[in-house]
Amino acid sequence: MNSPEGPKGSQTNTLPEIGISQILGLVELLISKGGRDDIYKLAAELSMELGETLTVIKAAELLGLVHTPGGDVVVEGPGLKIIDASIPERKELIRCKLETLPVFKSVRDYLKETVDHEVTREEVLEKLAELIPNEDAESSFSTLVNWGRYAELFGYNDDSQTFYLDSGETTE
Amino acid sequence: MTEQPQTLIELDHVTKRFTLPQGDVTVLQDISFKAVEGEFITIVGPSGAGKSTLLRLMNGLLHPNEGKVLYQGKQMRGINYETAMVFQNFGLLPWLTVSQNIELGLEARTKDPVLRSERVRMYTTKVGLEGYEEAYPRELSGGMKQRVGLARALAIEPSLLLMDEPFSSLDVLTSINLRNELLDIWSDRDNVVNTMIMVTHNIEEAIELSDRIIVLSNRPGRIVGDIRIDLPRPRKKRDKGFIEYVDRVFSLLA
Ligand SMILES: Nc1ncnc2c1ncn2[C@@H]1O[C@H](COP(=O)(O)OP(=O)(O)O)[C@@H](O)[C@H]1O
Ligand SMILES: [Mg+2]
Repeated sequence: MNSPEGPKGSQTNTLPEIGISQILGLVELLISKGGRDDIYKLAAELSMELGETLTVIKAAELLGLVHTPGGDVVVEGPGLKIIDASIPERKELIRCKLETLPVFKSVRDYLKETVDHEVTREEVLEKLAELIPNEDAESSFSTLVNWGRYAELFGYNDDSQTFYLDSGETTE
Repeated sequence: MTEQPQTLIELDHVTKRFTLPQGDVTVLQDISFKAVEGEFITIVGPSGAGKSTLLRLMNGLLHPNEGKVLYQGKQMRGINYETAMVFQNFGLLPWLTVSQNIELGLEARTKDPVLRSERVRMYTTKVGLEGYEEAYPRELSGGMKQRVGLARALAIEPSLLLMDEPFSSLDVLTSINLRNELLDIWSDRDNVVNTMIMVTHNIEEAIELSDRIIVLSNRPGRIVGDIRIDLPRPRKKRDKGFIEYVDRVFSLLA
């Protein structure tokens, strides 16, 4: 599942279209159940489709908040801390993880390299194409923007269609 | 040294009618209750029972035909600027950014633009929207949209927060997250607003969140139950006693 090469590897770079609130809700629910549940039981209890449940779980897994041994979903690592954390601490936990994901890392490195620390949407989509199969680039884009915003990894202005580094960070 | 909690709002034998072409309809009948400072009250009842109307009587957009609404002991006669409202469908303006939407409610109340943007920044942070300032509603998930709705209401620094089914258009996991964050805000005594009245049709949500549930009957809406929830927080469905409360509220609605 973690192989970086080949078609399978590029597939894992695809970002699920799942919001941060939904992921946090999943972790909070699991914690209230002792930190673990059977995936099928969970989907049934939430009256969610199994496919949709799996997508949320995959998103939480990408963020390093849960793992999925057998048919179970188990809260792990930062997922155990995030529930009692303050909002800035939550953002920091997510940020640390995002910085290790190839898609986020590549966009952030790109921003740091450019002179004015701004890149266009088109340029980012080109970068994404190197990491993600074409058909998934658009849907991954909105997650890239939204998770990136939550973690304050970068900003995005939809009027000018540009990404930028938050001020104060450009001198690091 | 224990201070007696103050009554914040009181409805005193309130009846509300609407005039329709085919005649008058009584929507709420003889409603009386008090909310004290610090309380979290939920209102449940079937659709059409007058729950949204009840909230509008509390924010002063509507006035009773009989009885009166008292706020901090004074009879309300116009808009109640001490309240703010959170809506089911977020109530965001699509052409404004997150920051501009949050500032919206402040424009009528605070003339000083510096003060306004400080407030916007403070409540943006409080609800976890830092980083989204420039985003438009169309770019946001439902959960983030409702955070904007909440930040806009909190930024007014009302003494009473009114919420009309704030979680009913969110998916089940997002609403779990927002309920928890709302409870964090409510229980943070540093906040200006710690009195909340929320309409919901979700009985479990009402039991999970509130100190008290007011149950309305249908057409006209009358109070058929006023139940104090005596369970420690955080509350879970599987807690001892939770199901008994669910059954109690259900039987009142049946
Ligand atoms: N401004 C209005 N004019 C006429 N009828 C109204 C008005 N507002 C609400 N009603 C009617 O009052 C009843 C209660 O409405 P509402 O307070 O929205 O109920 P709920 O929120 O419990 O679903 C409904 O039958 C509705 O059609
Ligand atoms: Mg309503």
